[in-house]
Amino acid sequence: MAVDSPSIVSTPASRVDALDKVRGHSKYVDDLDFPGLLYCAVVTSAHPHAEIVSIDASEAKSTPGVFAVATAAEIPGENQVGVSTSDQPLLVEQKARMMADRLALVAADTAENARSAAKKVKVLYRPLPTVSDVDAALADGAPPIHEKGNLIAKKQVIKGEMDAGWRASKIVLERVYTTGYQEHAYLETNGVIAVPEADGILTVYASAQCPFYIQKAVARVLGEELASIRCIQATTGGAFGGKEDYPSEPAACAALMARLTGRPVKLVYDRAEDMLWSSKRHPMKIAHRLGVDGDGRITACEVKLYCDAGAYNGLSAVVAERANATALGPYRVPNVRVDTYVVYTNNLFGGAFRGFGSPQVTFAMESQLDEAAAALGISPAEIRRRNLLRVGDATATSQTLPESVGAIETLEQAVARSDFERKRAEAEAFNARSPDLKKGIAIGCCMYGCCLHAGGQFLEGSGALLHVRADGSVNLAIGGTEIGQGAFTVVAQLAAEELGCPLSSVRVVPVNTDLVPDSGPTVASRTTVMSGNAALDAARKVRARMLEVASQKLDVPIEKLAMRDGALSAGGLTRASFKEIAKACYERKVNLTAEGWYAPPRKEWNEALGVGEAYSVYCFATQIAEVSVDLRSGRVVVEHVTAAHDVGRAINPAMVTGQVEGGIVQGLGYALMEELKVVDGKCLNPNFTDYLIPSALDAPSVDTLLIELPFSRGPYGAKGVGEPSLIPIAAAVANAVSFACGHRFTHIPITPERLLSALDADTMIRPST
Amino acid sequence: MKHEELTLSINGAKRSAVFPSDVRLLDAIRRLGYTGTKEGCGEGECGACTVILDGRPVDSCLIYAKQAVGRAIVTVEGVGATYPGGLHPFQRAMVLTGGVQCGFCTPGVIVAGCHHLDSGGALDDGSIKDALSGNLCRCTGYAKIVQAVKLAAQSHELWENGAAAQEH
Repeated sequence: MAVDSPSIVSTPASRVDALDKVRGHSKYVDDLDFPGLLYCAVVTSAHPHAEIVSIDASEAKSTPGVFAVATAAEIPGENQVGVSTSDQPLLVEQKARMMADRLALVAADTAENARSAAKKVKVLYRPLPTVSDVDAALADGAPPIHEKGNLIAKKQVIKGEMDAGWRASKIVLERVYTTGYQEHAYLETNGVIAVPEADGILTVYASAQCPFYIQKAVARVLGEELASIRCIQATTGGAFGGKEDYPSEPAACAALMARLTGRPVKLVYDRAEDMLWSSKRHPMKIAHRLGVDGDGRITACEVKLYCDAGAYNGLSAVVAERANATALGPYRVPNVRVDTYVVYTNNLFGGAFRGFGSPQVTFAMESQLDEAAAALGISPAEIRRRNLLRVGDATATSQTLPESVGAIETLEQAVARSDFERKRAEAEAFNARSPDLKKGIAIGCCMYGCCLHAGGQFLEGSGALLHVRADGSVNLAIGGTEIGQGAFTVVAQLAAEELGCPLSSVRVVPVNTDLVPDSGPTVASRTTVMSGNAALDAARKVRARMLEVASQKLDVPIEKLAMRDGALSAGGLTRASFKEIAKACYERKVNLTAEGWYAPPRKEWNEALGVGEAYSVYCFATQIAEVSVDLRSGRVVVEHVTAAHDVGRAINPAMVTGQVEGGIVQGLGYALMEELKVVDGKCLNPNFTDYLIPSALDAPSVDTLLIELPFSRGPYGAKGVGEPSLIPIAAAVANAVSFACGHRFTHIPITPERLLSALDADTMIRPST
Repeated sequence: MKHEELTLSINGAKRSAVFPSDVRLLDAIRRLGYTGTKEGCGEGECGACTVILDGRPVDSCLIYAKQAVGRAIVTVEGVGATYPGGLHPFQRAMVLTGGVQCGFCTPGVIVAGCHHLDSGGALDDGSIKDALSGNLCRCTGYAKIVQAVKLAAQSHELWENGAAAQEH
């Protein structure tokens, strides 16, 4: 029973964890200690591609302070951590395929002793040729990284008749776009502690998005049942996708050493280790062909997408699946051909990162649209207006959209609020008279499938467990994690609204695999919808029981009772408090604990054609970036961003704007600054000195507009926002810089060096010096 | 590695323990139980380990604990000590504006922001951003942190005018 005029939902309530965090009281993994704690260190490969001839751990084993050294031979279960393909050993035995491959683990009494012993493990390698890009990986005679060759997966989307689409077009634009790596750079590095309990259970405390992944991975490596592994999420210092699948690896390492030594084992990476070993946003090569008719309507689009997965699949094929399904953005495209190739290389390990394949394809599509608009002499806003999806339209995968399609509203509101057309004309006039300093303003739009792709729907169910205590206080356990995005606060707001108790009465407990069913991962901007709906389900059950008791106690029919904000009223008069009803229920032995569950309806999907209901619902956004470019230094400053987001309903508007502001700054780092330098599979800048992320001085002012077109299956109409906040900004910034410079940039990041060298090749707009 | 006993003055209390001679101030503070101070990068880039040393904000990962002996150290656990509820106005403001997300940079941001306010730093956007430019935050995009500094400055004046006592 949704409340008609909510009092807690849609309010900017303060975060439930904010006070602990500003006091410095929250406990992250490295803040936890246990008696007898040992520290784990990891020995990784010295080569990106090499046969392992021998591993000699004898000197490491006899180093003072060392309790155990493990190689593959010590693994009691399956030597395997591949999350979707069994291609990735926890500890390699015969062959290293990337620099981050682990060969041995050390457990010692201090972190210093563990790291110093790890350096004494002697490995003899026979180096193999390195495969360092997707073209080389797919070339005839390429060194095979795995036995079955270097192609991991191939995906496609097929719709309409391409020939007819090209014939109907007036212009056809063909370009190749490329994108670099992005490092998550969460402020807290990966960390886990595995604790053997007296009852035989192993508890893993982790900085993580997905405790259920960790439970499964640890059980697999140890050869134990799921019931003997408990994972508890510690306060987590940022994740952004980087703590989706990856923490299973350090968790399995610490768990193995804890079992071998019988002691608690901590493994917390330093920054360089984290940057060298953890997953990254995939580099992609996107060959894009777009046909547009004389009115600016898209007639056909053909995309060939190459995704550099690194040495193991991990989540790469799943990331590519999302890129594949949403490559054409929020537009009506009648004739579609997308071919997506997921490729092994010896480079860095590609994985989940906020946007999950979308920022790359959005950059390509939005760049093409701006080029098409320029070729036709129409405004970038106008070409989008003519092509954006509306209710009743079908997506590229032929999925008809019945509701909650805010694409055009986001465009119109962002264009109006930013005064786009006037500023664009002013920038053009300014640029004509300013030789060295240029201005740009441009648009990026995106469509993001909220929750998991149809291919992953077996993971979609999510649970909750809710207790109303005898004093009216509430404990709520959910399966979705709090990773800074505010999930605990949003879900507490939903539960409080539905129960009718004050928000301050709800205490969300740390995620613990013992408490709730496997709820899938905290990814895909799905937590508000999934954990939110599960919490609502539990709250409804308990509320119904409480109202029944109240009805008996007060002798008022249930339908005349209202319970909200901690007060029970009938006919506008307060009759009892939430606390009093809770107490009455306990006295009458009425159970005020309930489990909640939510699983969306099944989505129909044809994998061979890439046709069907790819996602349950879509989030839409338009972001408009205003930049200035100094042609002498190559420096781009993003001065202001207008961001309009269709979120279904904002459960907590302040936290939605927090997500948008944060996503934009992380995304402009991706667009302009953040560049991992990788040569022959080796990362050269694994630190914050040489890999720059935006500081306060790089942050633009952001004007956020919330478009609320409710999703009928979302909690109070909500969709997600975590990822759409980041997806369009790189495209908008690249378009703005391209407009400012009169040069189409086809690679991100557009670092000052890249900007200057691109313009060097283009004497037309050399600065006047 | 040689070990020695070091006595540090943290948030006004004298705390002693035996440490390796080359222990970083960051590690010494944390091993003494002040785990609010975080390690984000270990090389003075991210500011998560910021503490106040003799009235100046420093990256505690770049200083040997030995160098801090006999000097006054203030950590996130101590910045609000003299205020009602043990919360500096900037801590309250960070809660109110939503300047906190994952919270891992927050202790360093709190220390740097409190120092900026307490030392009478200017309150235009540029000055606030300058003061916070040594503290990387990957979640918030900084807007709500800057807003919190401004909000705290207003309530700071209230505290100093004695309004705090009345409100309490």
